[in-house]
Amino acid sequence: MNLNPDQIKAAIRTKVIELAKALDMDASGVTDDDILPATGLLDSGAILELVVWFEASYDFRIKQEDMNIDNLGSINAMTNFLLSSKPA
Amino acid sequence: MPTFQTVPCVNINDEFVDVVSIDVKQGEFVNGGDVVATVETDKSMIDVVAEQDGYVLRVDCEPGQKIRVGAVMFWLGATPDEAIPEATKDTSSTVSAVRQPTAKARAMLKELDIDPARVPASGERLSVADIETWLSKGGKPGKAAVSTQTAIRREDAPTVAGDLQELSPEAAGMLHTVAWHRDFAASAYLEVEYDPKPWEERAAAYAAEHKLILSPLLPLMAFRLAELGRERPLINSTIVNGQRFQYTPVNIGFTVQAGAMLYLTVVRDTQDMDAAQFISALGEVQRHAMAHKLPPQEASGATLSFSSMARWNVSRHTPILPPQTSLIIAHAAPKNSDKAVLGATYDHRVLTGFDVAQVLLALSRPA
Repeated sequence: MNLNPDQIKAAIRTKVIELAKALDMDASGVTDDDILPATGLLDSGAILELVVWFEASYDFRIKQEDMNIDNLGSINAMTNFLLSSKPA
Repeated sequence: MPTFQTVPCVNINDEFVDVVSIDVKQGEFVNGGDVVATVETDKSMIDVVAEQDGYVLRVDCEPGQKIRVGAVMFWLGATPDEAIPEATKDTSSTVSAVRQPTAKARAMLKELDIDPARVPASGERLSVADIETWLSKGGKPGKAAVSTQTAIRREDAPTVAGDLQELSPEAAGMLHTVAWHRDFAASAYLEVEYDPKPWEERAAAYAAEHKLILSPLLPLMAFRLAELGRERPLINSTIVNGQRFQYTPVNIGFTVQAGAMLYLTVVRDTQDMDAAQFISALGEVQRHAMAHKLPPQEASGATLSFSSMARWNVSRHTPILPPQTSLIIAHAAPKNSDKAVLGATYDHRVLTGFDVAQVLLALSRPA
């Protein structure tokens, strides 16, 4: 499994754009620090899909109590959370 | 004639049981009352006893298996080599054979004077098709049969080329839900418009306080419904054979669209939860649904339900009642509108329009 931070961010960004497109939104301009729920690009259902995809893609389990803005609120936060959960 | 014995209902809210042990073997003779198996749910364990004397012709389940209430467990016969009816030979141990007939099947059984226990069911309910199959294999109407000519009807296959396909478990579940709604509930619908701002402000404040990544708006509204279920027990009940069945727990059903699949996820025992616990529990089952990994206890047993199509920007929808429930809330919040809609499909055998209007008004604003 590739845990290169840049590649993780790229993969998350691609998924965000895909999920936003399904909602008829253009997320191509999303930045790594944008707070995803605040962008209005993804609704709760799409964010839930993003989280489930994130777990499956990187083969790890996010505890319900860790489902917060600090850990998953942005592309950067998600990447850091993954790397801290799966130390090399 | 061989008879079958089905998985007993252990708890009214559990559609599945775990088979703990099978205490008989094929060919063995058992006496009525002998313990032949043990099954359990999360809440209790019971012994299954033979309903009559006979030789075990076939055992259709095994220890460790999760099996639906009403499915065939084993067959008994007067001799060890008695033939099991052809129509059932291909059924697996997880195929349902609940003796509870549909309304149309019940009418047919009555008309033909047939004991429902004699007819194997291919689905969760004993259907007209099951009776017709049984009759076509040599089953005989009773002596008091009114007519065998008018009641035996099959749905004609379409004349256009095609083939029959098995339903997925989810599609079969939806068919069961729709059939219950059609056959038992006296469904009605009403709705109220409301100002969504107070709820939105409450959800935004809650999300900020708890740093939530998912909007708690719908979970908070569903939790309010759970509270109303505690305060107004009537909405948390159903009708069973002419009597009101009052549920003890408040199990909240919550629809989740996962890709093309619509699930009714269930958070059980919400009467013991506060808002934070409920939101966490609902988040967990939503994730299971999104991953298409809902365990049976999170996909069954709803006593009161909430459905929103706000995500799809619909102006209203009239949901089907989940089996053996009396109320499902329908939430819609069209974009670019300062009004949202709370509707409800309800079972008029239990609730009046007044009851439901009171619930909708109470739900239209935070407590």
